[in-house]
Amino acid sequence: MRDVVVTEFWKLRRSGVTWTTAGVIVVAVLGAALLTWIVRDPARAASLGLLGAKANLAGLEATWPAFGSYLTAIAGGGGMLLLAFVVTYLVGREYVDDDTSKNMLGLPVPRWRFLAAKLLVAAVWWAVLVILLLITGLMAAWTLGLPGMNTGTVLSTVGAVLAAAGASFLLVPVCAWITVASRSYLAALGFALGMLLLGNLIGHTGWATWFPWSIVPMLTLMSGSVPTPLPWTSFLVLGLTFAAGTAGAVHRLNTADNP
Amino acid sequence: MGEVAIRLVDAFKHYGPVRAVDGLSLTVERGEIYGFLGRNGAGKTTTIRMLLGLIRPTGGLVEVLGHDVTSGTRSWLRQVGFLVESASAYANLTVRENLAIQQRLTGSPSPSIDAVVGQLGLGPYADRRAGRLSLGNKQRLSLARALLHRPELLVLDEPANGLDPAGIVEVRELLTSLCREHGVTVFMSSHILGEVAHLADRIGIIHEGRLIEEAPRAELARRARSYLAESFSAQQREEALLTADLERYFLARTDPVGIHGTKAGERRA
Repeated sequence: MRDVVVTEFWKLRRSGVTWTTAGVIVVAVLGAALLTWIVRDPARAASLGLLGAKANLAGLEATWPAFGSYLTAIAGGGGMLLLAFVVTYLVGREYVDDDTSKNMLGLPVPRWRFLAAKLLVAAVWWAVLVILLLITGLMAAWTLGLPGMNTGTVLSTVGAVLAAAGASFLLVPVCAWITVASRSYLAALGFALGMLLLGNLIGHTGWATWFPWSIVPMLTLMSGSVPTPLPWTSFLVLGLTFAAGTAGAVHRLNTADNP
Repeated sequence: MGEVAIRLVDAFKHYGPVRAVDGLSLTVERGEIYGFLGRNGAGKTTTIRMLLGLIRPTGGLVEVLGHDVTSGTRSWLRQVGFLVESASAYANLTVRENLAIQQRLTGSPSPSIDAVVGQLGLGPYADRRAGRLSLGNKQRLSLARALLHRPELLVLDEPANGLDPAGIVEVRELLTSLCREHGVTVFMSSHILGEVAHLADRIGIIHEGRLIEEAPRAELARRARSYLAESFSAQQREEALLTADLERYFLARTDPVGIHGTKAGERRA
């Protein structure tokens, strides 16, 4: 297993995709910081042309707790999309860009190990992005001098970001499954985008705590009214989603034709 | 010889109404070079993918090195090197890095990367990214990947794809040497008779998923000559011979290392 994990990391050498995802995270955090700055100083933002005449900033706050909730939303909602992209890329490149799936699947290695290694690489990749998100977010908040920032609130935000990031990771094996089944990027990315929209929609219904793609937005306060804390069954649903996605992808790798 | 490397017994692969492989039976003995000849769409690649466990036969028996390919075990693949259809590699990695992945996952000895890079003339490109290689060098990389772990059996699908005539001769000589000196079994497909005619001990012809003819090379050549004599005019036979002569002449004139015993430009002297 160690050899498979090592080679999966090797495959990322000189890959521009890793830097692209890092750029997306940094831009998202800086966007949240810009919004917070506009809320804090709307007159100056208006004088710089950053605020339209009809902009409604009611209900928005320029505080650390508010900014922390943006960071949590980026880790959760953004994670659902960005992480889906990462996993789809790791699996899909074997079928699309490099056409190496036949080389990989013809090796004397149990095929489940490739999926496990790719998910592990995705987890490490995601962990690095989340750390980057937290560092950039803390630096931006410190630069803006946001009120309400103390050890307790920072740790609380870090905990919420990690919980959202972890929860969104549990959804990605389904994208791996779709990528293996479709041997393409598009189906899995379309699925991830569709689920993000559907999850927000179902988040406003009574089924929200049972639908995996609603649970993460609820956890990050992006959607619906959150029962505090979320029922244990919601975490069970996330765990089962992870298990089903992984099992589906492994089954597909083992039994489907690879023409 | 004598032991069986590949055995297909009444093997089928159907895709709905399409019979890609339709009751194929053949045996390849260890140490043999078997040429698997067929037109595009005849079922060559499907057969090769079945041999490697990449697709599952609809029916029949497919055994490689004594292992049923549908059994689920994969350790036997350690003794198999392969090249399927098109050359492929991780474009962002160098030739050496691509081979290092193969080496790590097949447990081949560490000096073998340099050895195989040299064997296939990839030395000047060893540190070049695979995405920037020419088609011919990509094919050489794929062949290097297949040879790296010193397999007992080589399964090669159209190995000459993208290679220039000199490259074809180099690969042909490499495969012959692996077979004669190291006892490696070679199962290679092609849609060009000339490509396998120089190399194979036995040749099987597949058409519409079925083996329609199988014979030792000399016997197949005799049948071909006899058929040509009966079915083609003297002028058509002359044209065929002219093509073969021109190819030999081209190889001799462009062969920088004297593979054919005559370096470029030496003939006149």
